Amino acid sequence: MIHNQTFRTALKYISLILIIATVLVSSALFSDKQYASVSFALAVMTCVIFVTGYEQKKTGTRRLVISSVMTALAMTGRLFPILKPTTAIIILSAVYLGSESGFLIGSMTAVLSNFYIGQGPWTPFQMMALGVIGFVSGIFGERLSQKRSLLIIYGIICGIAYSFIMDIWTMLWHGQGFDIKIYLTALATAVPVTIQYAVANAVFLYLMAKPFGDKLGRIKVKYGV
Amino acid sequence: MEILSVEHLNFRYPKSKTNALNEISFKLEQGDFAVLCGATGSGKSTLLRMLKKEISPLGEKSGEISFCGISLEKLANRQSATEIGFVMQRPEQQIVTDKVWHELAFGLENLGLSHETISCRVAEIACYFGIEKWFDREVAELSGGQKQILSLASVMVMNPKMLILDEPTAQLDPITASDFMNTLYRLNQDFSLTILLSEHRLEDALPHADKLLVMENGRLTADGEPHKVIAEMRDNAELICGMPSASRIYLELGAKGECPLSVREGKRFIQQYKNEIRQTEIKEYTHSKNKALEMKDVYFRYERNLPDILSGLDLTVYEKEFFCILGGNGSGKTTTLSVASGIKKALSGKIEIFGKNIRSYKNQSLYRECVALLPQDVQMLFLCNTVREELEDAQCSAETLPFDLSALMEQHPYDLSGGEQQLLALAKVLAQKPKLLLLDEPVKALDSASKRRLAEVLLKLRDSGVTIVAVTHDVEFASEYADRCAMFFRGKIVSQGEPKQFFSENSFYTTAVSRMTREMYSNAVTVSDAVKLCRINGLKGTENDT
Amino acid sequence: MKSFSSMHPITQAVWFILTALCVMFSMNPIIAVVSFTGAFVLYIFRNGAKGLKTHLWFFAMWIGIVIINPLISHNGATVFLVINKQPITMESAVYGAVSGTVILSVLYLFRTFSQIMTSDRLMYLCGKLSPKLSLVMSMALRYTALFTQQTRKVQQYQKATGLYKEDNIIDTIRGGVRIFSIMLTWALEHGITTADSMTARGYGTGKRTQYAVYRFSSADTVMLILSVLFGAVTFTAQISGKMNMEFYPKLSLTEITPHGITGYISYGILVILPIVSEITENIKWKYYLSNI
Repeated sequence: MIHNQTFRTALKYISLILIIATVLVSSALFSDKQYASVSFALAVMTCVIFVTGYEQKKTGTRRLVISSVMTALAMTGRLFPILKPTTAIIILSAVYLGSESGFLIGSMTAVLSNFYIGQGPWTPFQMMALGVIGFVSGIFGERLSQKRSLLIIYGIICGIAYSFIMDIWTMLWHGQGFDIKIYLTALATAVPVTIQYAVANAVFLYLMAKPFGDKLGRIKVKYGV
Repeated sequence: MEILSVEHLNFRYPKSKTNALNEISFKLEQGDFAVLCGATGSGKSTLLRMLKKEISPLGEKSGEISFCGISLEKLANRQSATEIGFVMQRPEQQIVTDKVWHELAFGLENLGLSHETISCRVAEIACYFGIEKWFDREVAELSGGQKQILSLASVMVMNPKMLILDEPTAQLDPITASDFMNTLYRLNQDFSLTILLSEHRLEDALPHADKLLVMENGRLTADGEPHKVIAEMRDNAELICGMPSASRIYLELGAKGECPLSVREGKRFIQQYKNEIRQTEIKEYTHSKNKALEMKDVYFRYERNLPDILSGLDLTVYEKEFFCILGGNGSGKTTTLSVASGIKKALSGKIEIFGKNIRSYKNQSLYRECVALLPQDVQMLFLCNTVREELEDAQCSAETLPFDLSALMEQHPYDLSGGEQQLLALAKVLAQKPKLLLLDEPVKALDSASKRRLAEVLLKLRDSGVTIVAVTHDVEFASEYADRCAMFFRGKIVSQGEPKQFFSENSFYTTAVSRMTREMYSNAVTVSDAVKLCRINGLKGTENDT
Repeated sequence: MKSFSSMHPITQAVWFILTALCVMFSMNPIIAVVSFTGAFVLYIFRNGAKGLKTHLWFFAMWIGIVIINPLISHNGATVFLVINKQPITMESAVYGAVSGTVILSVLYLFRTFSQIMTSDRLMYLCGKLSPKLSLVMSMALRYTALFTQQTRKVQQYQKATGLYKEDNIIDTIRGGVRIFSIMLTWALEHGITTADSMTARGYGTGKRTQYAVYRFSSADTVMLILSVLFGAVTFTAQISGKMNMEFYPKLSLTEITPHGITGYISYGILVILPIVSEITENIKWKYYLSNI
C-alpha cells in the first residue's frame, strides 16, 4: 500500500502521462495490427491499474457508497431524451469527490451501461475514455468548482475529447491499424454526435453545477464524507 | 442475565445547545421484548443509535453503556457487529446488494467466513424466514414487506444476541406490519432473542412486550411492565393518543384495575359495563349535490398483457367532502389517484372533475386552481436547501397557509421530522390553490400526535371548501376523520358508506374498537364512541348516574 | 456434467477471452469464417429464430463494410473498376469482406457473452480481482434500477404540480434538471443510510470473503483444460506467422504447413467446444426423459 501522499499524487500524474505517451508513440511507430494490440492492451491495463489501486486505497464506507450512488445517477442520466447529462454528472462528481473517485465513476458507468446496450470489445475503450475524463476533471477540481465559465469550456472540451478517443476505437474496429484517413472519416461522420456531446455537457454543467455543489456540500458537512 | 445496561447517558449533538439525551438509565435482561415509545423528536432514534457503536452519531457523550458486562467502547468491532443487530426504518435504504441471496450473505462476507459456513447459514436463515421462493430474485422486484423481512433476515444471519429496531414497520401497511411483529415475537420466543424496538404503532407491538420504555424530550420518563406504565400515563394526552385503543378507553374512563392492551383484554374490560344501551345516535351526514370527482367504468392497466389494475371502477366524490379510500396492497388505490389527477391515462371510461371531462382541461389548467396531488413519498417534491426556498419554488406565501411553518424556515427539508415534511409538501401543493386535493397515504409513518395535527389541518381545509380524497391503510384515521369511506378490492369499490356504518358492518377490515365492541355495541367505531357508550351504561353493580 | 451456459464464470470467461482474442487479432479468412460459423451457431442454438431484426442489422453492417472498404482504401494490385478516377481493387474488397466477417463474429460472440455473463457472474469475476470494486458495482446496479423507477415516479408527480413541462426542448431540459435535483438529494441521503447499514453489519472490520453460488465442477475442469490447450496451440501458430495472410499488394495466404494446419484445427475445436457441451447436455436430457 502506498501511504505517502506526494508519492501517490506523483504516481497519478505519471500514469496519466504514460497512457497518453503510449498512445501517441505507438500510433507513430506501428502501422499495422500491432498498434491495435498495444492500444487495446493499454485500455485494459488502465482499467486494471485503477481497479487494483482502488482496492488498496482505504476509503470510508460512506464515500464508497456515494461513488456508487453517483455512478447510478450518471446511468439514470441516460433516460434523458436527446441531450444526456451522463458525462456532466461524471465531471461534477469528479470535481467534488476527487480524481480517483472520478475515474472509478466514469469507468464504472461505461461497464454498467453496456449491460443495457451490450458488452463488446469496445467496453475497455469506453472505460478508459470516460475514466480519463473523470480523472482529469478531478485534477482540476478546485479551479473548475470556482468558475462556472471555466467549467463549461472544460465540458465542451471533454465532449470533443470523448469523440476523439472513441474514434480511435472506430478506426481500430475496422481493422487496418493506424490509418489517418479512416480516423478522419470517422471523426467527420461523428461531428453531429460530437456536437451533441459538447452541447449536452455545456448545458448540463451550466444548470447542474449549483445544485450539485449545494447538495454534496451538505452531505460533506452533515455526515463528514 | 443482564445483557444491556445504560447508566446516566447524556448526549449532545455538535452545535446544539441542549442535550438530545438526558441522564438515561435502564437495563435489559436477556430475552426481554422491550418497546420504546415517545413522540417524534423525543430522542428515540438517537438513543437506539447510541447502543450500536458503528452508527452512533457524533457529539458529546457521557455516561456508560455496557453490553454483556463489557463497556461498548471496549467491545471488539467484530463482536459488536455480530452480536448487536440493527434494523432501520426504510427497508429499501438498508439493503446493500442487488440480489436477495447476496444480501443475506453480505454480513457474513464482511466477517470473512468461509464459503461453506456462509452457504450453510444462508440456507438456514432462508428456510426460517420463508425466503426460498424469492431467493434468486432481484431486490428491486420485492414488495415492501418482503424487503423488510429481508433486512431482518440479513441481520439475523449474523446470530445477534440483541436486536435493535428503529420503527421497522413505519413504511408497511397494517397487515404486513402485523406479520412483521409476529415474526419478531417468534424470534423472541424461539431463541430468547433480546429485542429493543421503537415504534408508534403500538396496537400490534405492546401485547408482546415485557417492557415499555417511554421517552419525552430526551428523558426516560417511564420504564416497566406495559400494563403498569400505561395505567400511570393519565395526564399526558400526547402520549395517550399513541397507545392501543383498549388502553385509551381505559384511560379516558379513568377506570381501575389492570389496564387492557390487546383487543381480547379490551373486550373483557368493556364486558364489565352494563351495556344495555347499544348505540349512540348518529349525526346525519348529507353530502353536497355537486360532484367534485366522478369516475365511471374506468379501466386501467400498465401493459397490454398485464392484468387490469382498475377494472370497471365507479367512484363519486361530492364537493367539500373528506373521502377516504381503503383497501389492501395492489388493489388499485394509488392508481386511482394517478388516473384522477391525469398523470396516468385511463384505458377506457369517463372521468369528470367538477362536471367537466378531464380531457377538456388543456395546457395543465387541471393543475391550476383545480386538482393537486400529494405523493406518498413526499420527499419527491423537495429540491431546495431550505424550507423557505421550497416555498418560494412553489410560489407559496407562508402567511396564507392554514398552518404555521415559520419556525422551520431555515432548515433543510430532509432534516424535518416526518410530520413536518408532510406539512411542507402539503404547503407546496396548496400553492396550486386546489379545489380537489388528492392525498396518497398522508399519515403513513407519522406518530399519532403528528397524525392528529395533520388531520386538523385537513379538516380546516375541507371546511374552507376543498374536497379531499385520501388513500390510506389507516382504518383508525379514516374512522375518526372521514365523511365517507370506500373499500377497494381488485380494482373496484366493493363497499362504501359513512365511517360508523361502514366500519361496524365490516368484521375483519375494521378498527380495533369495532372488533372489541361488536357484540356489545352496534356502532362503536372510535375510542370516543366506546368511551361515550361505557359512560352511558355504567359499570355493572353501580347506579346509572345519567 | 453441465452445459456451457451453466458452467463456472471463470471457465466461461477464459473461453470467451481466448476466442475473442484469436478472432480479433487475426486477419485470416479461414479463422474468420470458422469464428463466424461458431459464434453464429452458438447464438442460434441458444436463442432459436428469435431476434430477426438483430440478424438483419448485423448483416446489413457486414455488407456496408464490404462496400465501404474498397471505396476508402485503394491499395492492391488487381483493379476491377474505376470510380471517380479512384481505383477499386479486388484485394481491398476481400480485405473488407474478411474484416467484416471478423467484426460480425465478434458481435455475435459478445451477444452471447452478454447473455451468459449476467451481471452477478461478471461481478463475481470482478470480485476475484477486487472485492471492493465488485461491491461498488453491485450497489451501483441496484441503485440504477431503483433510481430509474424513482425518476419516473418523480417525473409524474412533478407534472401534477404544474411546475414541470415538456412542451419544448428548453422546458424539457429545465424539467430534467429539476428532477435531477430532487433525485440527487434523495439518492445521497439514501446512500448514507445504506453506508450505515453496511457498517452496522461489520463492513470494514476485516478481510472480506466473497460468497458465490457457483461451483467449480469436473466439467469445468475439462472445459478449462481444453480451452487453454487449444487456445495455446492456436496462439503459437498465430505468433509464429504460420497463419498469416497478406492482402496487399496481392492476396497471399502463408504456405500451409503442418504447424499451420494444427493451428486451424485447434482453433476449430476451441470454437466448437461450447456448442458440443450444449448439445451433449440436450441429448442427455432427452435420453433421460425417454427413460422415465
